[in-house]
Amino acid sequence: MGTTASQLGKDLLSEYQELTFLTKQEILLAHKRFTELLTKDEKDLPNTRVPMEKILTLPELKSNPFRKRICLVFSTSEQKDGSLTFEDFLDLLSAFSDSATLEIKSHYAFRIFDFDDDGTLDCGDLEKLVNCLTGETDDTRLTPEEMRQLISNILEESDIDKDGTVNLSEFQHVISRSPDFVR
Amino acid sequence: MASEPQGQGSGNCFPDEHQSLRFRRVSSRVSNQNYPQFNWNSTPADEDGGGDSGPRRDLKSIPLPMSLKRAVRQVQQMQVPVVSSVESWKRKKSKSLCKLKNATREFLYFFELWSKSLQKIGGNFGGGVQSYFLFLRFLVVLNFVSFSLIAGFVLIPSIIFRSAGSSPVNNTGPEACMEYDPNPQGLVVFYNYFLDLLSGTGFMEYSYLFYGYYNNTMVEDRNFSYNIPLAYLFTAVFYFAFCLICIIARMGTAARVAVATGGSAVGNYSMIVFTGWDYGCLGDRATKLKQKNIHYRLQVDLEEERIKKQAAALTLCQKILLYSLRVFMFFLALGLIIAAFYGISEATNFSQERSDEQGILGLIFEYLPSIVITTGNFVVPLLCDQIALIERYTPSTTIIVALLRAVFLRLVSLGVLLFTLWRQITCKGDTNNKACELCQYNHEVYQCWETRVGQEMYKLTLFDLLINIAVLVLVEFPRRMVVDNWSSKLAQWVGRQEFVVPSNVLGLVYGQTVVWTGALFCPLLPLINAIKFVILFYCKKITLFYNCRPALKTFRSTTSTFFFLVVLLFGWGLATVVMIYSLAEIRPSMGCGPFRFFPTMWSIVPTSFHSLSETTKEFLFFIGSQAFSIPLFALSCVVMCYFIALASVHGKSVALLRAQLKLEGRDKQFLVKQIEELSRQL
Repeated sequence: MGTTASQLGKDLLSEYQELTFLTKQEILLAHKRFTELLTKDEKDLPNTRVPMEKILTLPELKSNPFRKRICLVFSTSEQKDGSLTFEDFLDLLSAFSDSATLEIKSHYAFRIFDFDDDGTLDCGDLEKLVNCLTGETDDTRLTPEEMRQLISNILEESDIDKDGTVNLSEFQHVISRSPDFVR
Repeated sequence: MASEPQGQGSGNCFPDEHQSLRFRRVSSRVSNQNYPQFNWNSTPADEDGGGDSGPRRDLKSIPLPMSLKRAVRQVQQMQVPVVSSVESWKRKKSKSLCKLKNATREFLYFFELWSKSLQKIGGNFGGGVQSYFLFLRFLVVLNFVSFSLIAGFVLIPSIIFRSAGSSPVNNTGPEACMEYDPNPQGLVVFYNYFLDLLSGTGFMEYSYLFYGYYNNTMVEDRNFSYNIPLAYLFTAVFYFAFCLICIIARMGTAARVAVATGGSAVGNYSMIVFTGWDYGCLGDRATKLKQKNIHYRLQVDLEEERIKKQAAALTLCQKILLYSLRVFMFFLALGLIIAAFYGISEATNFSQERSDEQGILGLIFEYLPSIVITTGNFVVPLLCDQIALIERYTPSTTIIVALLRAVFLRLVSLGVLLFTLWRQITCKGDTNNKACELCQYNHEVYQCWETRVGQEMYKLTLFDLLINIAVLVLVEFPRRMVVDNWSSKLAQWVGRQEFVVPSNVLGLVYGQTVVWTGALFCPLLPLINAIKFVILFYCKKITLFYNCRPALKTFRSTTSTFFFLVVLLFGWGLATVVMIYSLAEIRPSMGCGPFRFFPTMWSIVPTSFHSLSETTKEFLFFIGSQAFSIPLFALSCVVMCYFIALASVHGKSVALLRAQLKLEGRDKQFLVKQIEELSRQL
């Protein structure tokens, strides 16, 4: 199963509507944007995989500091190279959509922030995360002193079982109290 | 290492009974990282109690790739649950209902006002600025909808029944009180029309715009009767109630968020780091801005922590000095605000005394109260900011204190204006004063005092809009041009304009309060205000994109919505006090308006009451009697106590669960240590 040549069939469209949080217009728009990334001969093949470099040319992702992590997390490729099929792309859009649930958002956010893919957020992950948030250049980084204070504050607030890392359930617990996520 | 099981296809990451133990052991690490364990054997009916839309919701919120979700769906469809025909009918109904809801939501989304603009603003300037524009949109819609109420019940019947109808009360009264001549005599110079447009006098005074034009008539037919004064009164009261309901409904969601998240101080750093990024940011510039923003917030919070530690380490002598300094500064700020109030009061008196002047000078005198209020609202907060530097509160406290002072200044200055007007209209409430003796209001100066009050509110509204446009054209655009093209140190220090959200929101609240105060006396004012806010939206959008750089100190967007609505509620309260006082205490003018010969505006209700049928009268008497209201009051007390008890129980159980979570973690550590010890012993 995969995308047909230039248009989505009705059954496929309703299936995508059922399996994601996107509306019909959003899915059609996503399909249009995705096919723009394909070359001419790729358009005829079903289920093409677009390499990460091309995905990162999308204006919405181009300047996002987490762009590489996002592609790696949503990619289902066996080589873990961040390439996306159309269905991976829809999964990406669905997780970021406004109607997505807290569980989905927190699950994927955790995976995006887990830079070393070990299932927990330890000090190294947190440091990389803060650097992404504040910018990579020298004048926008926090000083090492501030970084240390910040990471110890974060661990004190979120690490409930005091094992030095934040696991998925602790992360979800912190997120659920954020005003942006309480519906 | 983990690549081999991945290559097998879709089914390998789940504890499927067909997999060998070896595969499961190798892939278990992979599956724990990436995909949650999914129970293939659960039926849809078990998932949650009702289970109607359960399966569909579950599919969407399973964090799996699409191909796996499809496989799950196939499995679920194969497991046909054994349900009764009633159950399956219910399930079908709820499915079609869901589809209908989605379709209507997509349809309504088409009608949402300015949604693209708001998204663009949010992406480029962040949630705080976007919340200002969302608030503005809410006020526009509120004004339009509430105006449609007024139009339907007061304006259109007045237009239709202009010449028909009779008065419900005898037209008697002292001759002198009934004089009212709003139309100017003789030839009018052309520019007077323009002045009249700005001040609501002349040709605009005797029109549907103001209270004085509406008739004191009641239309009665065989099957149809319409009492215009009663309609006017009830529409005004219902307008206030409707606005209150809208505000409270909107506050409901914001309040739920504020209560659910508890104290915002706890979990601050984790919150910023884990939820701070806005994935809607578009472009390099917006991203860099957001990064700078987050950097600033983190620095500010860390700095605040350091300041708190320092403050806790102060000696007693230093503490006493700091507190006495703060008390002194508080009184200084209060003194400044009271000076502003005195200025407004004097300006209003002066303006009312000199209301006969003609020409440009007359216009300036008419607008004097508005000018003084605007100047005060601009100068006093600047001075208070300087005072705040000396007070040395923590940054978050400083912002809140500044906002509270600004709110107090704005709303009470409007109150001072109204109080001064009241003093002149009712001769300071003293009915034995020579001027007020005859008609219980000052009929020499105010032949139709309601129209005059309406005119003051109209002038305030217009002046607010004119000032905003003037500042935009004369201050903000030139400032940007100077800063961009003149590279000197002074220009760089001044910098580009910052879009400061709190003061802009206070401007909106002030404008809306003026409209609410004036709605009783100037029924078209909500429509004028809606148009004014639409113009303001586009002006502010233009200035935002062309002249402003985003503020580093952002306002938290979700708690700020709640704060804006609370402040709006204060404004509503002030307007309600004014309305109730005007309805109940002051005698309406005898020369104009729908309440011409009633002792108070409210007294039309008892008069019309007696014309109702017997059963309706008895029913209304019963509702108002003690036999009904005391049990109702007791019942609502009981319901409130129930909800308070429920809320406290939930709070306690949350705290208990948190403590349990900590204990679980410690148990886990203990067991791990035990395992290590045992394995060492082996």
